Amino acid sequence: MNTELHTLSGAYALDALGQEEVEAFRTHLEQCQACRIEVAELQATAAELAASETATPPAALRARVLAAASREPQLPPEVRWISTARARRWMPRLLTAAAAVVVIVLAAVFGIGHLIGGEQPTMSAAASRVFHAGDAQTSTAHTSNGGVVTVAVSRQNGKMAVETDQLPSLGSAQTYQLWTVRAGTATSAGVVSDLSSGAAMPLPAAGTTVAITIEPAGGSRQPTTRPIVLIHPRQI
Amino acid sequence: MAGEPGLRLVPSEGGADLDELLGKVARGDAQAFEAVYDEASASVYGLARRVVRDPARAEDVTQEVFLDVWKKATRFDATRGRAKTWILTIAHRRAVDAVRRSEAQRRQDSQAVADEISHDEPADAIVNAEEAGAVRNCLGTLTDLQLESVRLAYFNGYTYSEVATLLDKPLPTIKTRMRDGLIRLRDCLEGNR
Repeated sequence: MNTELHTLSGAYALDALGQEEVEAFRTHLEQCQACRIEVAELQATAAELAASETATPPAALRARVLAAASREPQLPPEVRWISTARARRWMPRLLTAAAAVVVIVLAAVFGIGHLIGGEQPTMSAAASRVFHAGDAQTSTAHTSNGGVVTVAVSRQNGKMAVETDQLPSLGSAQTYQLWTVRAGTATSAGVVSDLSSGAAMPLPAAGTTVAITIEPAGGSRQPTTRPIVLIHPRQI
Repeated sequence: MAGEPGLRLVPSEGGADLDELLGKVARGDAQAFEAVYDEASASVYGLARRVVRDPARAEDVTQEVFLDVWKKATRFDATRGRAKTWILTIAHRRAVDAVRRSEAQRRQDSQAVADEISHDEPADAIVNAEEAGAVRNCLGTLTDLQLESVRLAYFNGYTYSEVATLLDKPLPTIKTRMRDGLIRLRDCLEGNR
């Protein structure tokens, strides 16, 4: 732990750092779980100070805020990898090793990203081999359209697999499409033709974020909608 | 000031509702968003008033905060903290940004800052905190320097280097006092639960 940076946790929780220090400290936070816990606690403490400062806002503000919100779309969720009962089914031994994962927001990529290569890799129902691999690391994430995906990574197999049977069914006009996102570029990892069979793909490179979007049937060359889930598996 | 509208501390048992409501907001529930506004707007607006002073600008800040809440409810993670903390953290950051933007020029004159502090900053943070018994008691456990450092940063929106200048103390001292002051406050509040 970087002691000098660490002592900034109080100033950070009070929003008392300059802009450059904020960025340096946030970078530090990504690498320091103890610091994240401390900052969360100190922010909660600071919020208690705010609670002593209540004042009723003018009534007209309510209508203004509600009207403004009704014109604003919501952001897609960030996803933190979590181990769940569903993951437990696959890999009881590795539960405790399930890595916490740094969330990376890459929504911007989906406005500017471009696809390298035009082909759509074929999805395989061999997903279960990845899930059952001895070294499989499994994580479950909720999607913004109310579904759940479970992702398994196996270094031995050199594969990543996605279990998709808990995603809501789409009509025949739409499909789920998987993407790997790296260095600002989204690359199709294939469309999901059959939700019950899941999907497997080569293990993405380190630092890759995996995204799922809903696309017109047959898939798109680049993402055309906001991702329903964004995941940055540390174990890749 | 007991019974005066809007100066009550929102009871902490209301927090659980807010967590649940925010989950609904994340799924696009506009009614839940209205309820979140009703539950949290007095805290957000009160904090904004306190930090930016000007009521009209405090309204703008409040609006920005709730638009953030609406847009980013999908990013709220209940496993990392309470909804109330999440909202007030957004509110404080927004309020501080607003005050730093508009007062950047004035802030360059440290004398003006010192005048402002001494003339219209009685320790009303502490006075108002008396509404919140636990917070008041616990603030009393802080050293003077811890209390001043925390107060000037949180309620006036000063950076820790500005606080160091105002209090004429070395930078490392101030950043340490902010941290150990908050830690002492945290431990005291926990002890009271």
